[in-house]
Amino acid sequence: MSIRSKSISVSFDNKKILEDINLELEEGEILSIIGPNGAGKSTFLNILSGDIKPDNGSVLYDEKILDSIGIEERSFTRSVMSQSQVLVFDFLVKEIIEMGWIDRGISSYAKYFKTAMTDIIRECDIEPLLNQTFNTLSGGEQRRIHFARTLLQLWRPSDSNDPRYLLLDEPTANLDLSYEVKLLNIIKNKAELGYGVLLIIHDINLAAKFSNKIALFHEGSLFAFGAPEEVLKSEILSEVYRIPIEVDNDSLTIKYY
Amino acid sequence: MMSSYFFWQKSHSRITSKQNLIILLLFLLMVFSIFLGFLIGSFDSSIIDFIQGKSSDLENNVLTQIRFPRVILAGLVGASLGVSGASLQGLFRNPLADPGLIGVSAGAALGASVVIVLGSNVIPEFLFGSFLLPLSAITGSTFVISLLYIFTKGFGYKGITYMLLIGIAVNAIASVGIGILTYISTDSELRGLTFWTMGSFGGVTWPLLIPALLIILFSMIWIIPASRQLDLIQLGEPEAYRLGVDIKKLKYRVIFSSAAAVGASVSLSGMIGFVGLVVPHLVRLIGGVSHNYLLPGSALMGASLMINADLLSRIMIQPAELPVGLITTAIGSPFFLWLIFRIKKV
Amino acid sequence: MIIIYFVKKINRISAMRSKFILFFCGSLFAFNVFSQSCELAKDSSRIAVAGGSLTEIIFLLEAQERIVAADITSNYPEEANSLPSIGYVRALSTEGILSLEPTLIIGEDDMGPPSVLEQLSKTGVEIKVIPEEHSSQGIVDKILCIAALLGETNSAKNILNNEITPKIYELEKISEDIKSKNINIMFILGMQSGSPLVAGKNTSADGFINMIGGKNIMTNFTGWKPVGAEAIINGSPDYILISKRGLKSFGDINELYNHPSLMFTPAAENENIIVMDGMAMLGFSSRTILSATEIGQRLQIDSDE
Repeated sequence: MSIRSKSISVSFDNKKILEDINLELEEGEILSIIGPNGAGKSTFLNILSGDIKPDNGSVLYDEKILDSIGIEERSFTRSVMSQSQVLVFDFLVKEIIEMGWIDRGISSYAKYFKTAMTDIIRECDIEPLLNQTFNTLSGGEQRRIHFARTLLQLWRPSDSNDPRYLLLDEPTANLDLSYEVKLLNIIKNKAELGYGVLLIIHDINLAAKFSNKIALFHEGSLFAFGAPEEVLKSEILSEVYRIPIEVDNDSLTIKYY
Repeated sequence: MMSSYFFWQKSHSRITSKQNLIILLLFLLMVFSIFLGFLIGSFDSSIIDFIQGKSSDLENNVLTQIRFPRVILAGLVGASLGVSGASLQGLFRNPLADPGLIGVSAGAALGASVVIVLGSNVIPEFLFGSFLLPLSAITGSTFVISLLYIFTKGFGYKGITYMLLIGIAVNAIASVGIGILTYISTDSELRGLTFWTMGSFGGVTWPLLIPALLIILFSMIWIIPASRQLDLIQLGEPEAYRLGVDIKKLKYRVIFSSAAAVGASVSLSGMIGFVGLVVPHLVRLIGGVSHNYLLPGSALMGASLMINADLLSRIMIQPAELPVGLITTAIGSPFFLWLIFRIKKV
Repeated sequence: MIIIYFVKKINRISAMRSKFILFFCGSLFAFNVFSQSCELAKDSSRIAVAGGSLTEIIFLLEAQERIVAADITSNYPEEANSLPSIGYVRALSTEGILSLEPTLIIGEDDMGPPSVLEQLSKTGVEIKVIPEEHSSQGIVDKILCIAALLGETNSAKNILNNEITPKIYELEKISEDIKSKNINIMFILGMQSGSPLVAGKNTSADGFINMIGGKNIMTNFTGWKPVGAEAIINGSPDYILISKRGLKSFGDINELYNHPSLMFTPAAENENIIVMDGMAMLGFSSRTILSATEIGQRLQIDSDE
């Protein structure tokens, strides 16, 4: 089971943003997308989530064309975290997280709500923030709450085999190092549980450490795709980022100054 | 179909027990207000006699044909303005959305006036019967809300200015339009400019009330289950979509239900300002912002407020009557100023 | 009189500044321009009239050829309609009036706006305000005042003796009778803010009801006010008087009788709502006496049944 992009191309205002992207996000793996700004990474994520329709090509969820899947059904299968908008009204943190809960019919899932909340709150370590007003939180804290909400959306009882995909656009931006690491560890756990995770990330070192696969975007094309050791090569990175980059092949750490 | 069933389901009604308590109290407040409204009036009557069936025919008539429908209308109008204000604020993600300020009420008033003056020649009475008046008002209000939506689409919070500007323009156009119509039409029951601009619950009878009652109840039943979606759209349209909300459907739902409720209200009682602004904010202040608490709360508080405002308008300068819009504006405009300062700080 | 006239004017102006200027100017002009005395006018050959009852009286005195223009409430007798119009009595226009080169402008205390009157007075045209009192005697005084202005006092006295005074006498007999019968009356001018606009104390309609001999049920306020349905029903009017224009604001006669604020009154239940031309009732010219008499006779007949 996977989310697959088949020959995706899209332009805005006659400017080509993405050209012929073929990529597959498989269950149980973490796929990181890296590349310079303006390479089309966020646009690609939005196409995968169904926010934007591509000009050419198609998105397939478990081999079904995304267009044929209803809006609600999509929300059972994938959740997205990207830039958030200002909240006009004073919602409580608890209420924001709860917005992630999708009731799937009468009583089958409603009874799990409490359990799910407890799990997520514990996992994301946000207990102390629960009863505060969301708008009083710092930027980083707010991101952590949105992340928790994203997880809640895909929560299942432990015996579930449903395919689930997390699409995350720079989830660690503005986070303290400790929380950054915590979040990536949570992602790793989810992947082990069977989630497919797409992660747009700036820090190549972190990408190297946490991903199963890496996709390198450059000027709207998929420049390289594969296991980290295949993609994180000195010549490839130097060409894309236009500065000399050294890669330590054993530890896969990047150096550039 | 599954999807509408799915969202219509009581999904997790995440109302807290505190909010439940407040709703209950607001309900009791409304019941008490209705009772007070039935009890008090210019006409000398004894409710006790009435209940025991001992009152005169005249007393019966005054109470059941004049006072009761008036109190009920006040309650309906208050509830519909409260809910519409709350749902418009939610959809536009704009704390200053109020049917009066943004021109929706004015559009309804103009729609109604046009039909009253010109329509009876063009549209045969039997075609819509007593639904003609509320329907024409609703056409006006729908037009204005759609205009607003097109002009502020996607601006969200930044769209406050545009919204208010359009509101100013529409209010001005409607005033002129209604003014001209009242001037040229001495031959019709146009009720005069002051009726439309300051509002009044006098003159309502059961036959007039029934269509509006149906429309308002229907629109409230239609919008309240959309509470959760209104919560979700606070995260922004893209995010709400990702959480499974059909944005287009939600827009239509909010637009048409508020246009219907406001239109029906204005057609019977003229423009009554600030209720749609003040009530949702008060309800938020006392219990929180979640829409499945906010919408019913706004309906109940709006009804109570309006019934009491009407009561004041009936007895403050007896036997004369104060236009009820004067009272709501007197209370609402300072609140509006306070709101602006509060927003400015954010 | 002059002071009262000014106080009334000032109350209608909201701005403090205008009040000050007006008061100042007013006190200067008081004795020159807005004189309320009923002396012979300097030149009454070309008269602009602001007030339907005044026009009526001038016609009554057969001095109508002196009228060069009249306001829009001047529509009786029929010939008055063909006079050039100077607009609405409270919203006159300086140039409009001056274009007709009047030598005298007469009106009642509702002439306005004050700024126009000031401009007119500066051109040297004489402006006379005819005092009005809402009673039969007031009508007599009004006729005499206008006659004095126009130098037609003898003619007036004749008309009064031969036509008016007998009618007043007849009216007084009827109204004595009506008074003894304690009949409740209410006067509606139209609608305002969704409620009927009713006459309180000190209104022309209040005076009219008194002339008939009836009892105005709304005497706990002064002036014209929108009154609620319950208060009207409480007042229990036996008769309701309404102007033709007022009727139009309800719709037609059926809608009037079925209006919730009226339908439970004795007046509505007994079909005792009387519709008449507004000026004929409230103008306080000779027609008012006839209207009051007509209504009084109807009341007498009804009560004798």
